[in-house]
Amino acid sequence: MKLSYRFEQTSCRLRIDGLPDLSAGHGPEVIGILSGWEMDLAGHPTLEGKRDHLQALLAVVLPYARHLVSSVPRPVGAASDPVQMEPIAAPRAGLPNRPSHRLRLHSSQPDTQPLELSFDDAELADLVRCLDQLRLDPRVQLGLTLPPDRPLLRREILERVPKRQRLAAPAAGLAALAITAAIGLMVPLPRRTASPATSPPASPTSPLTPPR
Amino acid sequence: MADVTITAPTAAAAVEPLPPPRPSARLSRRGLERLDLMLLSVEALDLNGGEAMVWMASQLGFGSLFPNRVELWKRRCYNPLRLACRRGELSEAETDALISLLCAMAERLYPMLRQLLSASEPEAATQQRWQLFRSRLDELVRERLNPRRGGVQKLLDPQDGPRLQRQLVQGLAFGTGRGGFDRLKASLMDAAA
Repeated sequence: MKLSYRFEQTSCRLRIDGLPDLSAGHGPEVIGILSGWEMDLAGHPTLEGKRDHLQALLAVVLPYARHLVSSVPRPVGAASDPVQMEPIAAPRAGLPNRPSHRLRLHSSQPDTQPLELSFDDAELADLVRCLDQLRLDPRVQLGLTLPPDRPLLRREILERVPKRQRLAAPAAGLAALAITAAIGLMVPLPRRTASPATSPPASPTSPLTPPR
Repeated sequence: MADVTITAPTAAAAVEPLPPPRPSARLSRRGLERLDLMLLSVEALDLNGGEAMVWMASQLGFGSLFPNRVELWKRRCYNPLRLACRRGELSEAETDALISLLCAMAERLYPMLRQLLSASEPEAATQQRWQLFRSRLDELVRERLNPRRGGVQKLLDPQDGPRLQRQLVQGLAFGTGRGGFDRLKASLMDAAA
């Protein structure tokens, strides 16, 4: 019996088709074998694929969103991976909403250009919610496992601060040290006197008389 | 048939609940600061946010932890930027409850968050919405947070403020949904920069 479930958000609609995997002890309502999926994103062509494509999409979009929550956007996925996601640099530090995330999908068909989709924050949030619904739905048991979200390390957070700003304080410190050292070198050393033992030994010239 | 035999073990493994690793699950002072600022943003988006939070807490089953506004306020005062700041740390159960509360409130406000972040809304309307949100948040920040702290001054700064406020709204938007709690909690436990 073919099953079909839909997960919907404002700008994203995901439909998955499949069958219960009876050998794994799933109930009749559970999709255990995926036969196909289809995703409609507002303003973009429909995406479809197999289980591996879905897994690749999850493995890229959700970690990307995880970094975005910490305000440290960074590219996820290597150039050879089927799915990549990266932030689009702002022309200037302006605040108006704009598409600022790029998803790049490499087709498994030969001689096909990779498909590039750009999202603004709201569309990405919709996509993330849709994928979360799919991943955490008890009716879908596809074994789409992801590593649990983890706190970012200090090194990963530091990337948030621009390098110039991060290096400004140590650079200023080093410059100050160099300038002080240079000035110190310019001050002449005190000249040594000929012999230190020329001063006559101290001797009492008149005996002290106790006062009457 | 081959598909069935291959998928069976992985599918069976997925059924077992995976306990998330928890090395030290307490939030740092910085995490508490961000958590409270996000709750403050929720209040700026929802005029009746304070009451709604208490109601939501009882709906989520945290009625014994946060029976009234005062108890909720006392927990939120662990934010080091507060005027009436409290020392110490919150227990994991308390911070988890606060994060769940935040996620539930953000979920309720998701349409508003989406409007603020969407590029397909009319530009003038978006500007107006941001303006309203900023003015309310500034008002709440002036009323409750310590103006002598650098973090508060940055938040109120006309240069830095809008960027930080946008980060708060982004954090709220990505903290909604079914996986939002884990994402937000992991983010609040980030190492200090």
